[in-house]
Amino acid sequence: MRALRRILHITIGLLVLVLGVWWALAGSRSANAQEQVLVVSPEGPYRSLEVALAEAAPGSTVEVRGGTYPGPVVLDKPVRLVGVGWPVIDGGGKGTVVEIRSPDVRVSGFVIRNSGDSLDEENSGIAVKAPNAVVEDNRLEGTLFGIYLRKAHNTVVRRNVIQSKVLDLPRRGDAIRIWYSNDVVLEENVVRQGRDVVLWYSERLQVRRNVVTGGRYGLHFMYCDDSVIEENQLVNNSVGAFLMYSRRLHLRRNFIAYNRGPSGFGVGLKDMDDALLEENLVVDNRVGIFVDNSPREIDSYVTYQRNLLAYNDVGVQLLPSVRRNIYESNSFVENGEQVHVAGGGRLQENVWRGNFWSDYAGYDADGDGVGDEPYRSQRLFEDLTGRYPLLQFYRYSPVVQAIEFAAKAVPVVRPEPKLEDLEPRMSPYVPASVPAPVSTPDWRAGAGMALLALLGAALVGRGPHLLERSRRHLVSTHVGAGGERAEGAVPVGGQEQNIRGAFQGERVRDMEPLIRVDHLVKRFGPFVAVRDVSFDVAAGEAVALWGANGAGKTTILRCLLGLYPFEGHIWVGGYHARWQGREVRRLMGFVPQELAFYDDLSAEETLAFYARLKHTSPDSVARWAERLGLEELAGKAVRELSGGMKQRLALAVALLGDPPILLLDEPTANLDVRSRREFFDLLLELKAAGKTVLFSSHRFDEVAHVADRVLVLESGVLVADGSPAELAVQLDGHLVVRLAVEATQVDEAVRLLRQAGLEADRNGKDVRVCVDPQRKVEPIRVLLGAGVPVRDFDVEPDRSG
Amino acid sequence: MDWQNVVTLVQKELHDARRNRWFWLYTVVFTALAFAMAWMGLAGVGMYSVAGFGRTAATLVNLVLLIVPLMGLTLGAMSLAGERERSTLLYLLAQPVTPLEVLLGKFLGLMLALVGALAVGFGLSGLVVAWRGGTAQLGGYLGLMVLAWGLAAASLALGVLVSAVARRASTAVGVALFLWLLLVFLGDLGVMGTAIVLRLRASQLLLLALLNPLQVFKVAAILAVRGSLEVLGPAGLYAVRTYGSQLMPLLVVLLAAWTAVPLGLAYLSAHRRGLT
Repeated sequence: MRALRRILHITIGLLVLVLGVWWALAGSRSANAQEQVLVVSPEGPYRSLEVALAEAAPGSTVEVRGGTYPGPVVLDKPVRLVGVGWPVIDGGGKGTVVEIRSPDVRVSGFVIRNSGDSLDEENSGIAVKAPNAVVEDNRLEGTLFGIYLRKAHNTVVRRNVIQSKVLDLPRRGDAIRIWYSNDVVLEENVVRQGRDVVLWYSERLQVRRNVVTGGRYGLHFMYCDDSVIEENQLVNNSVGAFLMYSRRLHLRRNFIAYNRGPSGFGVGLKDMDDALLEENLVVDNRVGIFVDNSPREIDSYVTYQRNLLAYNDVGVQLLPSVRRNIYESNSFVENGEQVHVAGGGRLQENVWRGNFWSDYAGYDADGDGVGDEPYRSQRLFEDLTGRYPLLQFYRYSPVVQAIEFAAKAVPVVRPEPKLEDLEPRMSPYVPASVPAPVSTPDWRAGAGMALLALLGAALVGRGPHLLERSRRHLVSTHVGAGGERAEGAVPVGGQEQNIRGAFQGERVRDMEPLIRVDHLVKRFGPFVAVRDVSFDVAAGEAVALWGANGAGKTTILRCLLGLYPFEGHIWVGGYHARWQGREVRRLMGFVPQELAFYDDLSAEETLAFYARLKHTSPDSVARWAERLGLEELAGKAVRELSGGMKQRLALAVALLGDPPILLLDEPTANLDVRSRREFFDLLLELKAAGKTVLFSSHRFDEVAHVADRVLVLESGVLVADGSPAELAVQLDGHLVVRLAVEATQVDEAVRLLRQAGLEADRNGKDVRVCVDPQRKVEPIRVLLGAGVPVRDFDVEPDRSG
Repeated sequence: MDWQNVVTLVQKELHDARRNRWFWLYTVVFTALAFAMAWMGLAGVGMYSVAGFGRTAATLVNLVLLIVPLMGLTLGAMSLAGERERSTLLYLLAQPVTPLEVLLGKFLGLMLALVGALAVGFGLSGLVVAWRGGTAQLGGYLGLMVLAWGLAAASLALGVLVSAVARRASTAVGVALFLWLLLVFLGDLGVMGTAIVLRLRASQLLLLALLNPLQVFKVAAILAVRGSLEVLGPAGLYAVRTYGSQLMPLLVVLLAAWTAVPLGLAYLSAHRRGLT
């Protein structure tokens, strides 16, 4: 018994000893592991990361303080690789930079860059091929794939910044790829310009507060059940989040915006069961949410709650087969098309309840926050584009509004509503605490825009003044170039004429003839206004075109100015009126029958405007200024000028630049007797000063007073060409006196004149009397004697006989 | 070509535009609507803390399509025909200027006025965009404005052509309004009907649609603002896939042709029949 007790004591003692030794050994080993920190830095103690890792015991920490180290770095034991002061691991453009092959590895605080660019080998910044890794606070630059998890369950990827290689999108790798890795936490990473963030065949993932921009798929899920995606920002990718073949996925409080590449979905769902999307901000994507065959299983649902879908081209796009979608308390704000059924048709077995629709036109009389009428989506254009997708081409066109207007006005063309929300909210629900970037005023751009508006206003308001400098520049360039005007003389009568001479009075006189009209014919459609007219005008001559209205006088003058195309030839100063109109018009000052000035200009501005067109200054009429009474006109608006004043202004314009020829079309048609006389005195002075004058008139007194020669026109044919005296003989000496009397006294005047033995008729508002030249005052005397006042009179040859 | 004369006539046209109540009416309406649309489109910034610049740009495209052709066509149509009716055109052409200079002076003067008017509208609404922080797509926005100038030039050239051919101002304005209706509504409706009835292919629809300068502008504007034409469905995708990076230059050339050809025809008409 004692022996037995001794054996027991020895056994217990041995056990205590073994336990004590084991305890001591284990304690010392653990103390060693806790204490082993290998420091790598350019100054030592370790200068090589590779050597330090080789010597590091499992569980130890390798602390890297600054410096650049070559890749690839392989971690095949459970170590902690900690960077201090952003040390760099550079792959040198080959292979994967950091590869984790052991469980329980931590990599943090590194800049990892320059992986290879082989898509086949899946060259990555950090490849994790074992579970329980922690990859955090790293910066990955110029890597093909960024962080690649393969069978890396329970791994945490946190606060990394990943900027992929600058490559065309299809040649890039995935910024983050999670592959057959369950229970991964992916949070607070920032991804720029990657291809995709891919999460496939992995369950119970937690993806939160990441920012993904500039890629293809912000998030791409396949076969990832029971995952949570929350508070991420998926912005400016082709597609925000594409969710496929997964169950019970929960997408909440994400900011999903401006995803507009090919496809361009904010969120896409394909074959998703029992998904819940809530409180997401889905903004300005091409399609906010795209739904294809979700839910897939017969007893599952997809639920959308309290999401805000705003400013997307299409809010929600569903395939017509989609059933069991529940849309509740969402806000549809100003989407180009709130809900689109691809392929057209009416949605069935989906629930639309209590959503806010910005295009809801109903009311809420009872004030319960819910519209009293259902919201019905039944737009004709949307219906058409559903059935004929080609017509989407006309989006944004005003024709769409026209079609919708027609559909509202004509109920028969209104389509069946594709959905009904029986309880539409009256105010939108705005999800709170979504990490959307805050819009702040861009003052610099604002200043630019304000400047743009000001420049626009200045262009409209001060444009003429702003252009003045460029005009002056052109003028100075023109003068600098030697004042060359038109060159290219044209033979007249076998002689070469130089137009520069035509600007100088003496030379013009040498030209014989100055104007030559040769077989001129002018047709207006079938009507022949001028038939084969030929005549010459010598320099210094005053020639009248005389004939009744419609005889062709004005037409000939306009042909002379090159304003009409014509047959035959007109030469003026050696230039052809049809082909060298500018040069011809430079030789001629023109006074039209109808004085058409710009009413809003003053007389001075009018002179200045035409002076510019003639490349001269208003001073060029200085020698005629007093005679034309320009001082009297100065400052007056053209619309305030009397007929006589306008006529003088027209003559002043015609004289700008001192042209050798004056062309006047019925110049006194609108003048009273006194003004007419003054005007013709002025014309005589101009003639005496060497001007060649060609004018049209139907008044013989004018013709006789001014013209050296008269060209008589009848129905477009030149019937006579001679002196006024010769014409008077031809006209047999009879005159017609036209008398203007008060309208009420016209008949009385005719009666009185006939009583006095005169041949008198009513002619419109005037009285027309045919008399011998010796008796031309008699009609006036008769009427004045009978107490009938004569307001005006006019004498012309009687051409009726 | 005497550019001094052209500049003088441009100055005169700008001067006249300032006194043209139609011009002011169009400018005020365009500016007010553009401003209001920018304001409303971006009102969500305050309400939802997000900016909807894309939606603003889309409504601006719509507004430009509606108003700018109306401005260009009617102002262009009134330009020569109005002066012809007041006989000031004849007096002008009796001076040492050529019809081409008059045509160019009128066109460029009105164009500058329209450029200024649109700059005011885009500038003020851009101010709202900048204030609301939606300036990430400022390049697209300015591109939209430049394209709107292009559309103004094309519709103005069409208006000037109408003005050169029509004898009376009322006829010219009537024809211009009909053209506006045709380009804005009827033409598109016709092509849509044709597409449905004849089951057109995307390439055929695109070809037919781009015969309309307004659609040329629209496609270019969406491309400038959005960078893609997905929103325009199969025909938009076809355009991008077929022409790729050449699409935008092609559209700009088309718009320029819509300016040059009507002006050329107006000149031919002036040369053959005279402008008076």
